[in-house]
Amino acid sequence: MEETVYDKIFKPKTYTLENGKTVKQRASRTPLILLLVLIATYASFRTTGADLSLLLKRGNQFFVIIIGMFPPNFEFLSNIWGPLFDTIQMSLLGSLAGALVAVPLALLSSSNIIKNAFVNGFFKFFLSILRTLPTLVLALIFTFLFGLGTMAGMLSIFIFTSSYVGKLMYEHIENVDMGAFEANESMGLSKVEAFRYAIIPEVLPTYLSVSLYAFEGNVRYAAILGYVGAGGIGLVLNERLGWRDYPSVGMVLLVLMIVVFIIERVSEYFRRKLS
Amino acid sequence: MIEFINVNKTYPNGVTALKDVNLKIEQGEFVAIIGLSGAGKSTLIRCINRMHEINEGTLNVDGVNVSNLRGKQVRDFRRKIGMIFQSFNLVTRTTVLNNVLVSSVPELSFWRKTLGLFPKEKKIAALEALDKVGILDKAYNRVDQLSGGQQQRVALARTLAQNPSIILADEPVASLDPVTAKVVMDDFKRINQEMEMSILINIHHVELALEYADRVIGVRKGEVVYDGKSEDVTQDVLNNIYGSLTEVPHMDDPEEAKV
Repeated sequence: MEETVYDKIFKPKTYTLENGKTVKQRASRTPLILLLVLIATYASFRTTGADLSLLLKRGNQFFVIIIGMFPPNFEFLSNIWGPLFDTIQMSLLGSLAGALVAVPLALLSSSNIIKNAFVNGFFKFFLSILRTLPTLVLALIFTFLFGLGTMAGMLSIFIFTSSYVGKLMYEHIENVDMGAFEANESMGLSKVEAFRYAIIPEVLPTYLSVSLYAFEGNVRYAAILGYVGAGGIGLVLNERLGWRDYPSVGMVLLVLMIVVFIIERVSEYFRRKLS
Repeated sequence: MIEFINVNKTYPNGVTALKDVNLKIEQGEFVAIIGLSGAGKSTLIRCINRMHEINEGTLNVDGVNVSNLRGKQVRDFRRKIGMIFQSFNLVTRTTVLNNVLVSSVPELSFWRKTLGLFPKEKKIAALEALDKVGILDKAYNRVDQLSGGQQQRVALARTLAQNPSIILADEPVASLDPVTAKVVMDDFKRINQEMEMSILINIHHVELALEYADRVIGVRKGEVVYDGKSEDVTQDVLNNIYGSLTEVPHMDDPEEAKV
């Protein structure tokens, strides 16, 4: 056992067996880590200027708004359907197209399939660049390019999904056991045939599951995209909040909650079937 | 017939895997290849179906010089040779039948193999192969629901469906328990006798090798140090194959004898 500075300050515990052999147990590092976390927390309070007393003073206003949402304005329902379907539509289309584009991106990034370090590196880098762009910012940029509306929302969801699914899939493909691939080659299958019959069946359930999960999250994302003008229900939500029309806001949130809940349940059911 | 003539093989990292190997294996023989891990047993077997390349010498299989084959010729050549692996190498997330059907992929039209649509006669051939190894009732189970012994028999059925004349087996029973190992070895023996397929098997269990194989080839550091009938293998022969005395499996080893 190598002695570090920490071990010199906090002596390790020593156990002696009956035959004279000794085993040393290092002192736990947890107190040190805990101390560092506390210092970091304090420092972030100081720099962000978070004021807890404000939470106490104004916190009750939050409940005022919540109470204002009850009872929800059911007459507003007829104004919700259109934007709601826009939201679902743009997340569905964006997820579908993103999941499809993710396949070639994942293949090109997998070092066990494409044996060219430059190609792998390039596409892995490309995928991580895509992931660093926040969806909201993408949506904002696309509204400048393609005008306000669902097109911008759909495109930003598409880009997010392809990078997300692409990343998870290449990690999965790289960890697939290549034994079946080898066996297929030994039976006289070409590399493409071996890929079709050894790798695809192994990664397909995960691919579908990851894509469904991305779709599930995208419905939630799509709801906020309206804030930057990318269409859908977020637009309505933003407008009603601006008018302080809390009963209508309550209605929008209620419908959104129900829809997200249903989609999550359905997706969870299918994902459980796939695993 | 498989014929090694002065075959040498060195890996790019400088390790010599085969040194001046000369062998002649007739059609229908049951051969066990024994030796320490790293002695070159796997390399020896994998050169036969060109999963590995040889550096020097000639390797003829049924009159064909293996080293001269290119591209599609290699793949067509491999159709006649089955291969069994220690870790079964099946696709675990699909059905048993789908795994066996893979062996017929090269014979399908482009659309059929892209979409995975297998004609009825291939399905029947695959089911018959499963029946031969006694797991027909598992045809529509997913492979990951099967035990190790059953999985190795799926691999065997996959090879049988290919209808090869030679089966190469690389440690086929090393990850199985002793009882299941015997069952799988019985399958090999039966296939060898009923279908006259040549069987070359790499094996660590000396007792099993001597019990099932007609002929034993001992490999040490890439060289063939014993080649003869399994009845003629003595403790001296084993000492020679396994080199240092501490590593030698004893013929009367109770651990081995239990198998």
